[in-house]
Amino acid sequence: MPDDHRDPASEKIVVSGFRHFFETAGGHVQATDQVDLTIRSGEFVTLVGPSGCGKTTLLKALAGFIRPSEGTILCDGKPVTGPGRERGVVFQELAILPWRTVRRNIGHGLEIAGIPRAERERTVARLIELTGLAGFEDRYPHELSGGMRQRVAVARTWAADPDVILMDEPFAAVDAMTRLTLQEELVRLCTATQKTVFFITHSVDEAVFLADRVLVMSRRPGRIKAMIDVPGRLAGRDWESFKIDAAMQALVEQVLRLVREERGLTTPAAPAIAAGPGA
Amino acid sequence: MSATTAASARTGVPGQSMLAAAGRQLRGLKILLPFAALVALWWAIYASGDFSPQVLVSPLTVWQAFVHLVTYGVMAEYASTSLRMIGFAAMLSMVIGVPIGFAIGVNRYAAHALEGFLRFLQGISGIAWLPLAIIWFGFTHTTTLVIVIYTLIVPIIFNTMIGVRAIPESYMLALRSLGASRLRMVKDVYLPGALPSIVVGLRLGMGYGWRALIAAEMLVRKGGLGDLIFGARTFGQIDRIITGMIVIGCLYVIVDRLIVQPIENLTIARWGVLRK
Repeated sequence: MPDDHRDPASEKIVVSGFRHFFETAGGHVQATDQVDLTIRSGEFVTLVGPSGCGKTTLLKALAGFIRPSEGTILCDGKPVTGPGRERGVVFQELAILPWRTVRRNIGHGLEIAGIPRAERERTVARLIELTGLAGFEDRYPHELSGGMRQRVAVARTWAADPDVILMDEPFAAVDAMTRLTLQEELVRLCTATQKTVFFITHSVDEAVFLADRVLVMSRRPGRIKAMIDVPGRLAGRDWESFKIDAAMQALVEQVLRLVREERGLTTPAAPAIAAGPGA
Repeated sequence: MSATTAASARTGVPGQSMLAAAGRQLRGLKILLPFAALVALWWAIYASGDFSPQVLVSPLTVWQAFVHLVTYGVMAEYASTSLRMIGFAAMLSMVIGVPIGFAIGVNRYAAHALEGFLRFLQGISGIAWLPLAIIWFGFTHTTTLVIVIYTLIVPIIFNTMIGVRAIPESYMLALRSLGASRLRMVKDVYLPGALPSIVVGLRLGMGYGWRALIAAEMLVRKGGLGDLIFGARTFGQIDRIITGMIVIGCLYVIVDRLIVQPIENLTIARWGVLRK
């Protein structure tokens, strides 16, 4: 895949020759095929692909939770050797702590970093405002709806102010209407804060709606089979105009076709299944 | 009825709260009902036959023995020995058991390796260790303490381990990506995450430990309620035996309801439905 935007200064994350294998009881499983990828500073990249294609494996390697079997991952030119504060993660499943209030969950990263209380509270208050959690500061997670809990998870990651944010299907577990709101809020939050975001999703609509660039991964062992640029993110997006924007919908169609090929639904020139005699 | 409405009109509280209070009283009565039935049955049996006081006495005689033991401070002495012993054993078991449970819980291999072993130990009751303990430590408080701690500590270790292992991996990953140190993880994730399970372990342990304590006291004979009822047997004091048994049951309920259960409720209220 030729990358026409080569400029080392703006290269936030560089993945080269990445490959990953798992040892299981059944033997050697290849999670991903070779992945080469450059994410520019301030870019919002989404990754779609069929289940089990290795999306989460790639994200875990970027986060530093696993070490690549092969290849290297650089963040700001330095190799990733473990988790770090400059790379925040928002998980699909609930990862906020049930025994901490909203306020203390959001401020947790700052508390760990040893930020003084007054400054911490200012940051937390700003994020509570940005994520629409005002009035719920002293509630515990079990007192919140699924959508609000996910807002807390997002706010906690943003509060720690990492350069890069890795998101693994963060809105998969919330209801469809809430998801739309959360996606629009995320667009606003990213425009306001200029983070580099790597976002995994199953939803083609979501992938195009949020991104500067959509990556499509092939089925396992996954590799990146296509990159599609989506223009105009920083101008702001909302679902109403997105749905009637012909150019955007064409991109959605294109991505959808690429993903469905991988699921074997519209395989071009699929070999006919030979029916044996008596079958 | 008119009194109710008048009262609620005066306080501005709907008559419902009085109904609720009445309901609570009714529930209190319901809890006492089986006890009343047992005493009635006991009395009926006693009245229907001609029992020697060496075999069975009436509830009234037991009540008189209770009053006597309390008045002369005998009950306080024996009961406080038992309560001090269980309290001390519970504290020591927590101090030793929780760190051990943690160490096992955070290590997947250790947890796998030791799960069967801990279950095996759970199978050998504290009482089964009494013969060995008596040989090693004699008829002393040490023997009793060792038995009770052994009984208490196994469920505490086991439940701490389970509690640590049940913490979702995502909590750990999230904190690591926020830059948390190992100490920070213990303080912010492992300890609060495992707490509800630790409390369950403590509660189970207190139940088992109390029973083991009474049994050990019966053999060791150095004070405590077990000593009281076993000593009374020597003199055929049925009234004292039954009094002691009732006190043993009551003290357990009081300790469980007034100390252990409130701690458990507190953690459940705090942790909410998320902990399932």
